[in-house]
Amino acid sequence: MNSAPGQVRIRPLSELDISRVVAIDERLTGVYRPEVWERRVGYYIRRDADGCPVAEVEGKVVGFMFTDLRGGEFGLEEVSGWIERFGVDPDYQGRSIGRRLFETAQAHLLARGATVLRTLVEQEDQDLASFLRAVGFKNAPLTALELRADGAGA
Amino acid sequence: MNVEQSTIPKKFHDAVLHWQRHNFPDYDLLPQNWEKYFPNEPAFCLCAKMEIGMSDTIEVGDKQGAARMLKPSEMGEDAAKHLLAIIRAQASTEFGSIQQHEMTLARAPEDEDRFWVLRVMAEELRHGYQMFHMLTSQDWSSVSRQSAEEMIEEILSMRTGSHVLDAFNVDYDSFVDNVVFAAVIDRVGKYQLAMQRVCSYKPFAQSMPPMLREEAFHLAAGVIPLRRWVQRAAQGAELVTMQAIHKSFNKWMPRGLEMFGHEKGGESNIRFGFKNLKNAEAQSQYYDECKKMIADLNQRYLRARFPKLSPDEAESLAVRLLRGGERHQGVSADDLIELPEQRFFRRKGEPAWTMVGTRGETFADVESYVAHLRATLPEPYLASRDMKQYVETLREVVSGKITADQASKRMPNLKRVGGVCPCSNSVRWIVEEPPATNGPTARAPNAKADRP
Repeated sequence: MNSAPGQVRIRPLSELDISRVVAIDERLTGVYRPEVWERRVGYYIRRDADGCPVAEVEGKVVGFMFTDLRGGEFGLEEVSGWIERFGVDPDYQGRSIGRRLFETAQAHLLARGATVLRTLVEQEDQDLASFLRAVGFKNAPLTALELRADGAGA
Repeated sequence: MNVEQSTIPKKFHDAVLHWQRHNFPDYDLLPQNWEKYFPNEPAFCLCAKMEIGMSDTIEVGDKQGAARMLKPSEMGEDAAKHLLAIIRAQASTEFGSIQQHEMTLARAPEDEDRFWVLRVMAEELRHGYQMFHMLTSQDWSSVSRQSAEEMIEEILSMRTGSHVLDAFNVDYDSFVDNVVFAAVIDRVGKYQLAMQRVCSYKPFAQSMPPMLREEAFHLAAGVIPLRRWVQRAAQGAELVTMQAIHKSFNKWMPRGLEMFGHEKGGESNIRFGFKNLKNAEAQSQYYDECKKMIADLNQRYLRARFPKLSPDEAESLAVRLLRGGERHQGVSADDLIELPEQRFFRRKGEPAWTMVGTRGETFADVESYVAHLRATLPEPYLASRDMKQYVETLREVVSGKITADQASKRMPNLKRVGGVCPCSNSVRWIVEEPPATNGPTARAPNAKADRP
């Protein structure tokens, strides 16, 4: 069922959304990487498609947010809802689609028992950081560290 | 999601496991390899799952607004009979698909493809188990005229060729069928489960959400390998071709369309509050969804073949190739997948026996139509018993010997085996109680003890 003209419809992820997720990612990053999204979409559908909303306008997927519910990682024992992948087609940004995706995912994760929502943002990605602060995220008392195999970035 | 899990009474549970040993011997590979292919995912559970928190109010039909029913006796005889037929058909499909998958499972080109299908099969077993929960947790005897044991015995004795729906009576020819079946036939399953979420009989409605969540992966287990295969085909891989995939779609799409029932039917389902769409409405939505799936696969193929194409360019190229007979750098419509027209190769429903081709062209005589089928269906399938009977019946319809309606009622007519367990001279009941000191052992009616 398609949404009414101009209206945004939020629904769970399905396997037929891969092409549009690939296309949105390609527009955002400039890289065509279908294999990555085939693998990831397969994973999220197995885990919990209801926790991975997509936004549709007139039958076309224009945004997605993939989340996962886990606990016990990095010593964080609380059941955590992780916001892992997120994208809105640039042609549809500024229409609160990201917020609606987030609200849907948040409601689902909390209903499944999450006591906290978590995510990681690249330091340069200020747009994404601003969006997440706008929907309620705050700095966590954690620091992300990495050690690259090739020694780069040290 | 809030789900309650339970098991069915031991003798029925054991009967399912016994069936599994004979019909699904690869089942034990799944727990052994679960962590490798599905790391950190909850282990598979052979159990019934009921969604908690669903509304108590009937959503559609004559009793809309009334309380959802909890027992078959509350439904009235006609409605109960109707729902019982749905449950039995659903159970038959679940066990039937496992029998089909098992025959070609080992031919999967990649281990991951194999274990994805293996998980699909295990979840189909659970769905069959779920339907057995429906049959055994309440008393249906007033409309079934059978005991629960007899109903279960009947379903477990079905084989490819004697199942309720035609799609489950057709053998797979290769692993291409495992994957196309998941993409095409499981998609019908998704529609049926989604429609049945409104069911006025609450236990059946509660069965649907957990099944739907699992079914979502079954569709992915079809579409994702297909996407990888068309990419490899574009890059020159020789073993899985676009033509092989195309022909497999031609084989399964007609059976999928027929699973919705006659195009003019479905009124009773709505009246009784069992489903929220009539057959033709659901079938039409399904067909549109399949069109989208094929368009995605063609786009994946074209972008792998011509990496400089943008998504929009690939989409419009596919449309031009399929419509206009155009060629683009050596690629033509023959290299793409095309969904067959809804009336193609039908034996049930409104267009049954009408001799319509994959592109909607009509044929006036049987021989030219058979030649068209020969060109458009998978070669191994042409030599099957199913095809032989289809062509023989078509000849009878065209010659006026029988009517299209009579022909449709005859299909499927492939019954090979029924009521016999491969391990013994009968049945799969496990004798639960030790033999009584002064009397016969308690057994299911007409059943013999299970002695492999």
